[in-house]
Amino acid sequence: MKLNERSVAHYALSDSPADHTGFLRTWGGAGMPPTPSGAGRRCWFVLKGNLLFSFESREGRAPLSLVVLEGCTVELAEAPVPEEFAFAIRFDAPGVRPHLLAADGPAAQEAWVKALSRASFGYMRLVVRELESQLREARHSLDLHRRSSWKAVSSRCKPQAPDRWSPGLENGHSLSRDCSPMGLVEEGGSRPAGRGLAEWELQGPASLLLGRGQSPVSPETSCFSTLHEWYGREIMELRRAWLQRAQENPPECEDRDRP
Amino acid sequence: MRYNEKELQALSRQPAEMAAELGMRGPKKGSVVKRRLVKLVVNFLFYFRTDEAEPIGALLLEHCRVAQEEPSGFSISFLEDPERKYHFECCSEEQCQEWMAALRRASYEFMRRSLIFYRNEIQKMTGKDPLEQFGISEEARFQLSSLKA
Repeated sequence: MKLNERSVAHYALSDSPADHTGFLRTWGGAGMPPTPSGAGRRCWFVLKGNLLFSFESREGRAPLSLVVLEGCTVELAEAPVPEEFAFAIRFDAPGVRPHLLAADGPAAQEAWVKALSRASFGYMRLVVRELESQLREARHSLDLHRRSSWKAVSSRCKPQAPDRWSPGLENGHSLSRDCSPMGLVEEGGSRPAGRGLAEWELQGPASLLLGRGQSPVSPETSCFSTLHEWYGREIMELRRAWLQRAQENPPECEDRDRP
Repeated sequence: MRYNEKELQALSRQPAEMAAELGMRGPKKGSVVKRRLVKLVVNFLFYFRTDEAEPIGALLLEHCRVAQEEPSGFSISFLEDPERKYHFECCSEEQCQEWMAALRRASYEFMRRSLIFYRNEIQKMTGKDPLEQFGISEEARFQLSSLKA
């Protein structure tokens, strides 16, 4: 079967992040008997995504071998020579030989087994999908908070009692009295969720998102600008409705319009 | 570089993200278009002769570039040699767009970037690291620092 080997080797040597690296003893390979015996051969291994490469040394300019980590399980194993910290990559498909490998010590053995067990594309995809839905939920509930508390925020420019706010705002957070927008979100790091919500409401989610100079580039920038547009439109609509009501009704009657 | 063909063959039998009969032309000068069954499984693109069960070849889709080629086709090329293109011909513009979108999302590197992005966004919105529940928040593959500038 043909494989774009040159590209594969280029990827192996590129500076894309390696998920795990280290020396391992291996019993597969040219000139080695089919049944593992002896002390094996010590190679430099690099795990990138679902691909395990081996090199003759850390400075190796070309990979010696490639193992594709799909449809396999990794488990502790017995080495031909005792006191090796061995593990095996076993494939579900029949007729595919397992790979026997051994680390230098128990910590390395454990680290490799863990890393290899989580290397499959499917595992990564599961985690991504989980986070995707978590993000959708987080955005949705932020949106709900904003909708229900928008009136409270807008009408805050006159003295208001805090209990008029939507229960969605966390920690009974109090906004600044003069209604002026708070400073832009501080760079990076985690911050209390309540404060983040308040900044969101005062400035509008679009500007909050755009103000995040530290955000990594979204892999799909079209999604980002769509979100920006969507929130922008909503805010404009809410603002327009509020202004209209403010003109039609005297201020103290606004309570009636609260959802 | 040694690799176990049986590993790849087994992979080619796994459920595919996309599979279709397309026209395919190799990167060598003078190569002709041939009908191939093209199958996308994880980050590999397998291609078969239309009447055979085992693939003739596979393309690892990391660090690749997918570009539209008129009229309703696309090409795949790789970082180290962008002029060396594998050409594919689709039966419609729609099919072409579908394949291009799927292929662009098909790399492990793309998923890694997505994960890091989502993790970061969730962290900013909720103050919590969503990977902690998985016990994988310290893994190198999921760190913001692993993204290239």
